[in-house]
Amino acid sequence: MEDQKVIYDNKTVKLFILATLVWGIVGVLVGVVIALQLRFPAFNFGLEFTTFGRVRPVHTNAIIFAFVGNAIFAGVYYSMQRLLKTRMFSDLLSKFHFWTWQLIIVLAAVTLLLGFTTSKEYAELEWPIDILIALVWIAFGVNMIGTTVIRRVQHIYAAIWWYIATFVGVAILHVVNSFELPISLFKSYSLYSGAQDAVVQWWYGHNAVAFFLTTPFLGLMYYYLPKAAERPIYSYKLSIIHFWSLIFLYMWAGPHHLLYQALPDWAQALGVTFSIMLIAPSWGGMINGLLTLRGAWDKVRDKAELKFLVVAVTAYGMSTFEGPMMSIKFVNQLTHFTDWTIGHVHIAGMAWNGGIVFGMLYWLVPKLFRTKLYSEKLANAHFWIATLGILIYAIPLYWSAVTQWLMLREYTPEGFLAYPNFLETLTQILPMYTFRILGGTMFMIGFLLMVFNLAKTMKAGSMVAQEEAYAPVLVELGARDPKKEGMHRFLERKSVRFSIVAFIVLAIGGAVEIIPMTFVKSNVPTIEAVKPYTPLELAGRDIYVSEGCYNCHSQMVRPFRWETDRYGEYSKIGEFVYDHPFQWGSRRTGPDLARAGVVGGPMYKNAAWHYNHFMDPQKMNEQSIMPKYSWLAEKDIDLDIIPVKIRAMQKLGVPYPDGFDKIAVDDLKKQASGIVADLKASGITADPNKQIIAMIAYMHKLGRDISTPAVNDSTNMATAKVVVETLPTTPADLNSGKEIFGKLCASCHGPEGKGQATFPNLTDDVWIHGGTPTDVVNTITNGYPVKGMLPFKSQLSDQQIKQVASFILNSLKK
Amino acid sequence: MISSVLENIQGIEIYYIIGLLLFVVFFVVILIRTLRMPSKEAEHIKNSILNDNEIMTPSNK
Repeated sequence: MEDQKVIYDNKTVKLFILATLVWGIVGVLVGVVIALQLRFPAFNFGLEFTTFGRVRPVHTNAIIFAFVGNAIFAGVYYSMQRLLKTRMFSDLLSKFHFWTWQLIIVLAAVTLLLGFTTSKEYAELEWPIDILIALVWIAFGVNMIGTTVIRRVQHIYAAIWWYIATFVGVAILHVVNSFELPISLFKSYSLYSGAQDAVVQWWYGHNAVAFFLTTPFLGLMYYYLPKAAERPIYSYKLSIIHFWSLIFLYMWAGPHHLLYQALPDWAQALGVTFSIMLIAPSWGGMINGLLTLRGAWDKVRDKAELKFLVVAVTAYGMSTFEGPMMSIKFVNQLTHFTDWTIGHVHIAGMAWNGGIVFGMLYWLVPKLFRTKLYSEKLANAHFWIATLGILIYAIPLYWSAVTQWLMLREYTPEGFLAYPNFLETLTQILPMYTFRILGGTMFMIGFLLMVFNLAKTMKAGSMVAQEEAYAPVLVELGARDPKKEGMHRFLERKSVRFSIVAFIVLAIGGAVEIIPMTFVKSNVPTIEAVKPYTPLELAGRDIYVSEGCYNCHSQMVRPFRWETDRYGEYSKIGEFVYDHPFQWGSRRTGPDLARAGVVGGPMYKNAAWHYNHFMDPQKMNEQSIMPKYSWLAEKDIDLDIIPVKIRAMQKLGVPYPDGFDKIAVDDLKKQASGIVADLKASGITADPNKQIIAMIAYMHKLGRDISTPAVNDSTNMATAKVVVETLPTTPADLNSGKEIFGKLCASCHGPEGKGQATFPNLTDDVWIHGGTPTDVVNTITNGYPVKGMLPFKSQLSDQQIKQVASFILNSLKK
Repeated sequence: MISSVLENIQGIEIYYIIGLLLFVVFFVVILIRTLRMPSKEAEHIKNSILNDNEIMTPSNK
């Protein structure tokens, strides 16, 4: 049979490799910057564009979609042509794919820093970019499936099923999670609300890990590991079985991101069960990868690319064991909202994804440029510095997670939280964040070594942009012979049919997870008292979203004693029905805010406190690592868009009265002037049109609807006045009082008790509520919630309150 | 505790059961078909990727 000439397109592969290197450095560098921000808030640079809340999504998106994305495409475009013995289906699509993807990355970086975000993690980009992504993804899919149709081999090798699953999976996820109602070019509201939005988002978030960070990488592993080791994959049959079970099971496991949260139990149980089951197919992949090297481990010693691939596959095995363990409800108490998750994703991201990419590049670049790697030594140096960097990054974060969790749930013998102030637990783990900076920097240095090495290699060699090869024409085999051909082999011959089956398999999991949540009404029991956001609160909420506050603050109190004691009543599913999008958060670098508006609750702060705190968090809490948000007091609320927002919310089913959009601005101004008057009473002059007013309104909305109305401060005192004759004055008591004062009182009254802003000086002779021991003890016990003084009886024992009072009256005044 | 997990919404367990059944059936079918696949064929496929210049025809399987 005559051979046909095939001309492989190497140019697109090279472009994707270059993009991988450039965006990789950017992504890792941004990662180091945000690690610095978490340790030293000065690295937020006092600019709105460079605050952690906006930069963190740039890091995650740059790593996932820019670095990893381009690497996937480079690997796919190279291997697919060789595996199928044909050129990619369409040069035009290849070109469109490459350049539009880079455009999306640039747009993503710019819009995220400008504060245009949907706040759904790893899907933060606004709707116009979502549409662009959909277009590129279709181009990629058509190009890929087109290539399988014009192939010159009978079978489709394992790697390519994973590529096809990637295409199908991401397509489903992206479309379903991006249903949103645009209200302007850069702002949209999620069509889903509250718990439904959370389920869809974490179904997406979990499966983005599956279909962007796992399936394409297994595909790359199935090609580049055998290539680099020059040995066939261990078991082809195992690859078939673990392929179908992995793609089937992954889609179900999303709710494990929402354990103990406001989600029906059945959904949580579903997530846990399927997460545990996922260990099997995941380990199938790891075993297949590692056993490929059996009898060839000597090669690992010599070749840096194999070292990276081995560490990658090992890390994959570790992470896919750790993940299901983290999905067990009890373990999840610890791992959720703490740094455990951050450690977990970085083991997976740096070692598994990074390792496969590095291994692939060290093998591919010399091959593509027909030369040898510039320096094997440098590559080995990269390997060791990166591996050590990963460990130095991750181990301290696991340590930090356990430390913080133990502190958060520790009680004193009297039955009070040992560390009622969240900040204490954070301050304790800050040293670990220094190690994280070190680990990240090491990883970055390794990366730079690789870029240098590969650049030198490229320079020394020469790439043939249009490489020639020969392959015979494919002879049609005709209808399936059921005796000779297995189901999978039959599907595999017809790539389009294969894709459709993969789609159905994926859709089942997604449907089972989402449809009941969306259509079964009883899933979301409504709470009568929960009212829609007022226009001012809505404006504040949109600012909260755009500043990325959800990156550090959750709005989800789980039903544990140590959470309800610290924050207040646990969160109910019906509270979130007007939330487009949901704001439950995933990591608490700061305290939970779900109960920030419950007057008299432990999280309530008055308007003056919030004002001062937004302007300069470190002034209120010296050890706080929150960035300053002083521009909120300078930037105006966009009043023109308020009626549009109200109408959009009405379309989404929020029950504002008819015609409310016309009076919404007046309503907003009225509420704003109320807050301004409140601030004025505390001695702060503020402009009612500024964003800070909206933010304060939003803070005070959180949890307010389900709490009992604020207690009038004078009756509060009258009901439970305890007469105190003498205060304890031993040095031990005064020391204990001093310690408590530093933890709980200093954030408002100042470290020396001299007061700040509107919070009274405790060292002079002026007492607003009386200065006798009885008065002071009662003030501390019951507080004046409306004015910002918390009732500390829920956080301190009677004895501790007396100690603080004694410290204030005896030590501070001197 | 375990028995009450799926009770709070009537009939919801049907989704769960159908899903699990689908998976089990699907898995068993794939497993059987794959195990019955001739080993020679699997060997051939996995070896075929190693040589980029190998001439592939149905006759040399």
